Amino acid sequence: MQITRLFALLLMVLEWTRPGLSSPLRPICDLRVLDHFIKEAWDAEAAMRACKDACSIATNFTVPLTRVDFDVWEAMNIEERAQEVQSGLHVLNEAISSLQASNQTDVLQSHVDASISNIASIRQVLRSLSIPEYVPPTSGGEDKEMQIVSSISELFQVHINFLRGKVRLLTRSAPICHQGVS
Amino acid sequence: MTKMSDRLKIVFMLCVAFVTTGGQHFESKVAQLLQDETEDIKCFVELKDLTCFWEEEEERNDLQYTFTYSYENKNKMACVVSSLSLLASNKTVFFCKLPKTPFFTTLDVQVFRDGRMLYSRSLNAENYLFLDPPRNLTVLSSGKEGQLNVSWLPPLLKYMDDSMIYEVRYAVEGSNMGKVEVIKVSTMLVLLGLQSDTRYKVWVRVKPDGVAYKGYWSAWTEPVLGVTQPSDLDPLIMVLVLFIGLILCLLSMTVILSHHKFLLKKLWPDIPTPEHKFPGLFTVYKGDFKEWMSQNNSSMWGRSVQVYTEELPSPLEVLSEVSLTSHGTSQREERKPVEEDEEKESERSDSGLTDRWREPPQAHWLMEQLRALQENPQSLSQSLLVQSHDTYVTLNQNSQGDGEREVDDVFEETLPLQTLFTTTGTTSLSTSHSDLGSLQQSSGSGRLSSQSSFEYPNQTWPPKGPGYTYMAVADSGVSMDYSPMSSSRITELGRHRMYTNDYKNEIFLHKWPLFGEHNKSGSESCMGPVW
Repeated sequence: MQITRLFALLLMVLEWTRPGLSSPLRPICDLRVLDHFIKEAWDAEAAMRACKDACSIATNFTVPLTRVDFDVWEAMNIEERAQEVQSGLHVLNEAISSLQASNQTDVLQSHVDASISNIASIRQVLRSLSIPEYVPPTSGGEDKEMQIVSSISELFQVHINFLRGKVRLLTRSAPICHQGVS
Repeated sequence: MTKMSDRLKIVFMLCVAFVTTGGQHFESKVAQLLQDETEDIKCFVELKDLTCFWEEEEERNDLQYTFTYSYENKNKMACVVSSLSLLASNKTVFFCKLPKTPFFTTLDVQVFRDGRMLYSRSLNAENYLFLDPPRNLTVLSSGKEGQLNVSWLPPLLKYMDDSMIYEVRYAVEGSNMGKVEVIKVSTMLVLLGLQSDTRYKVWVRVKPDGVAYKGYWSAWTEPVLGVTQPSDLDPLIMVLVLFIGLILCLLSMTVILSHHKFLLKKLWPDIPTPEHKFPGLFTVYKGDFKEWMSQNNSSMWGRSVQVYTEELPSPLEVLSEVSLTSHGTSQREERKPVEEDEEKESERSDSGLTDRWREPPQAHWLMEQLRALQENPQSLSQSLLVQSHDTYVTLNQNSQGDGEREVDDVFEETLPLQTLFTTTGTTSLSTSHSDLGSLQQSSGSGRLSSQSSFEYPNQTWPPKGPGYTYMAVADSGVSMDYSPMSSSRITELGRHRMYTNDYKNEIFLHKWPLFGEHNKSGSESCMGPVW
């Protein structure tokens, strides 16, 4: 009898606390949060542009396209936009992460680390806005258009352009932020 | 038909107006960039259309320019080149407009002339936004003094209206000194710290904030005038306040003047005099205490005792001697028990307070001495003039046959004083003539009084016989230091000046230097100021 009572109490407590389930994040609609990451990406891009010889690398990077045609963008719905942004972030993250392994200067390393952490933070922001997560394409499906860059400075140029372009436009147009507005 | 033609006319006019205003803006932008931009091909984005222009190099009409552009190294496209004559600077520019420019991507432009490449440039369109100045600038005076409410409309750009930064410039009308305020995103500003009742001119311009989008500062808007509120302080109120202040001042002056005596008494109190305690001393006897004392005998003592209890104790400072050549030896034995009492009294009088006054039996004798002195200033050896109201300290003199100091517990303190100034009865000390307020030292042994000072002009101090011991007293005010003195030293001392300590009792303000210097022992005492 006592054991059953204990079990009942335990169940009630667990039900109440619900361990394992993350609580929904408060939507981060303020664009200043994203602007902060963009400013850091600007610093990284400027640093990479300045260092030319020391920051050269032999490999190529697969990076997302950054071009935004406003007509095209406006025609897309939220899911399409989300998919484009999320896949682009994923690819970008992989490209920058590949730099972590290689032996680079301290300046480069610090920027690489900052960019990776910023991408992770941006993902959190998008999650808070209830934007669908990245879904890797099925084996039969077509991958999004990508481009190839051959230098670190180009990589970081793509990085900054992607963030202030597509990512920002998506964050701006998140439906959860416009619920109160008619 | 007329209606239709009217409508057409209106539409046409509107179109022309729109084009001209747009053209004006365009032209001004071109002119602006022509001055500021250093690149050969100057490009800017106006409402999502990219325009690139360059200045005409040579004066040739049949020049053929070819303008090509490409995005992300893809296929090149050509653009139609147009020309524009700037009226203000009388220059001609060639330009090309790329409608619906994609952002966040690299654009390569090239200009060819007769097949040869003239200029080439690679740029991102979102970094060269050239906006129109803000519209509907309004300046209103807020409810408060020295403030103006400024508001305007943001540029009509989708996706970019939250990335704008504004600059507000304001200056007093007619003055060239303007201040600038920078404001982000918000299209409203309250100007603070302005002069009241002044006309101000306000301008505004806009620029992308540089985070997501970059660009050039727009042109300033047309100035808008605003007037600040006049100050609250009415001149009438100021005048009234002044009048009231004047009236209050006059009132306070009259009050002060009418009660000035009372106020003076409170602020500058009179120095109390003991006159009320000694009736007639100052008025009838003109300060002659001796006379006054002789007149008011027993009753006065009682009263003066009360006076003394109120006053501060006066320290026992200096010795004086009264010669008792006639009385000394005969009365010594008699007085001894009395003197013991008196010395006890003197002990108490050291602290300065006596509850009861015991008239010393020598009082009368002393008065006689005083009177004698008064009559015969020359016979000074026997007179003692005492001004003091306080108790008399009578110290016993050493017995002549006794070469040692009398050691008695009760009298230890008093002994040194005694020993310093004992002299034989035969020699006399000259005294100076002084007024009643001074104590005049006379030679001889015997009585000492407190709070008296001495003057020994040209005094030689003969050494005493072996019956007397002398001790040097060093009174630093804290402790007394006694050291025996040899007879030769006494002689030496007699030749120098001696000083008494300062009186602390204000009633007795007469300080007299005493002969003899007491420096060898290093004492601070007996070294008073030289008068």
